[in-house]
Amino acid sequence: MAMYTQRSTLTQKVLGYGGLAVVLLIVLIPYGYIALTAFKPAEEIFDVRWLPRAWSLDAWRYAIEFEQFHVYIYNSMIAGLGAAVLALCVAVPGAYVFGRKQFRGKDVMFYIIVMALLFPFVLLVVPFTILWVKIGLYDTMPGLWLAYQVFIIPFAIWILRAYFAELPPFLEECAMVYGCTAFKAFWRVMLPLAKPIITSLMFLAFLVGWNDFLFSNMLTTGEGPRTASVIIYVSAVGGERVEWDVLMVMTLMAGIPPVLLYIVAQGQFLKTFAVRGH
Amino acid sequence: MARQEALHPAHTLDISSALPAAAASRPRTAGSERWLIWLFLLPTVLFLVLLLWLPFLQGVWMSFHKWPFIGEPQWIGLQNYRDLFGAAYFWTTMRVTLLYSLSTALQLALALGAALVLNQSFIRLKSVWRGVMLMPYAMPPVVVGAIWMYLLDPDLGMVTHYLLSWGIISKPIYWFSDPVWAKWIIMLVASWTFWPFMFIILLAALQAIPESYYELAEVYGANPWRRFRAVTLPHIRGAMLAAVIIRIAWNLAKIEQPFQLTGGGPGYETSVLSILTYRFAYLSGDFGMAFTVGLLLILVTFVLIAPFLRGFQKQIKQARRR
Repeated sequence: MAMYTQRSTLTQKVLGYGGLAVVLLIVLIPYGYIALTAFKPAEEIFDVRWLPRAWSLDAWRYAIEFEQFHVYIYNSMIAGLGAAVLALCVAVPGAYVFGRKQFRGKDVMFYIIVMALLFPFVLLVVPFTILWVKIGLYDTMPGLWLAYQVFIIPFAIWILRAYFAELPPFLEECAMVYGCTAFKAFWRVMLPLAKPIITSLMFLAFLVGWNDFLFSNMLTTGEGPRTASVIIYVSAVGGERVEWDVLMVMTLMAGIPPVLLYIVAQGQFLKTFAVRGH
Repeated sequence: MARQEALHPAHTLDISSALPAAAASRPRTAGSERWLIWLFLLPTVLFLVLLLWLPFLQGVWMSFHKWPFIGEPQWIGLQNYRDLFGAAYFWTTMRVTLLYSLSTALQLALALGAALVLNQSFIRLKSVWRGVMLMPYAMPPVVVGAIWMYLLDPDLGMVTHYLLSWGIISKPIYWFSDPVWAKWIIMLVASWTFWPFMFIILLAALQAIPESYYELAEVYGANPWRRFRAVTLPHIRGAMLAAVIIRIAWNLAKIEQPFQLTGGGPGYETSVLSILTYRFAYLSGDFGMAFTVGLLLILVTFVLIAPFLRGFQKQIKQARRR
């Protein structure tokens, strides 16, 4: 590593740092501008300038006191948490079996599950709406948790299966020699070993619930558990006049938590996303 | 970081075994374990059958009906399909769908550039830059859409302001309702939002390449371009193909941003197929037609990813022979 560093030429360094700067600017200019906008008083929205003339928390106060935006943030959190817990209960046992057991039709079944990743989920909006109304899940939080699973489960199985498959062979057999049942071998030995990847998936599944708009919009009404994404959509598109300063506060409130989550877990995510296709 | 990875060796994601015939030879399962296998599989299978495949089949059935939100569905055979292919907006929709899918190429370019830069050993504070780059993807797409609605606003947006004051445009452009610009804007905003997904996959692939390969290439006198061609590219080709396949499918299926930014308009200029589905389902309440469009979306998606899927399978076969 150290030797390689010395061999980087000046040209390489200039190109490297130049490229880095360009990419960072592409990302940071929009974010920087809206972050500052959130601290402008309402009358300053109409001139384009970076720093507010007078710093103000009015937009934040308005978003929370008048729009009750924290309630929707709370809804998003519950939506994400429920989705994550449900997804793990379903996908971890399934992925374990795909990763470590032999049975007939395994490869075909796994292929079908992974192909579901490519399925355009917008199609499900129609049958879901009809079915959810019929079975009383429409406009409820459990209805949302259930709907998110179609995104999460195929992805979770895909990633978890590979992890389980690469743990050392014969672990369960050893545990069973020491008197564990097949289930106990899974519960006491394999599950603790898979903790890092399960945590990582838990974050990702949470983000699916937090970030979703498609189902959250279609399967809830104004009286039901609306999530922050839906409210942002409605505030940006619904009314005649958009309160930009308030909207930018909302985008920060809904946008920053997932970013923090990504930053906290990014090393883990990087490993989770490591596709081995060579 | 490097230490940590050494402690947890290789739990990389092996998609190659997604294909049949990859099963490793493990000891045969004892009969007493059967119950565990089927019990563990049951929730997954049940969820996917009930939540994905049955609704999908129901939808196919619906596409042969005039199926209103309220009222009795009525069998009309292939009429929805005839209506769709004969409609004036059909070609507009197909054209803009293809244009929109090109956003994948833009995402790949940006992601590859950023990943190559961050993989250079001389760059400091890598994890900070990586965190910044992940921001657009981490946030809800609707949030990113709202941000761009503000920045691109013709009256008080930053972009319009600077373009005017630098003399690049002479009067404000209504980006989201302009028939020429709207389709480009939704494509650009989608690229800006989703490129970090490819970035994180490519970066992970780059970091898995052993340093010694580069050293060897350098000993043989390979210049940076040759090193990229001979070492980097072959090692990340699989990850690249996988990322492209997933992104094409997801870009075409994600409706948040076009829906929020343009609502599919002006006219049908930005009604990519997924938006058209949503328009029929949500605005016209014509569920049969919505699903007809949806099936076409599946078809288009698979036509677009087919060449990459073939490339990916070839890649895996080669890897196995090695």
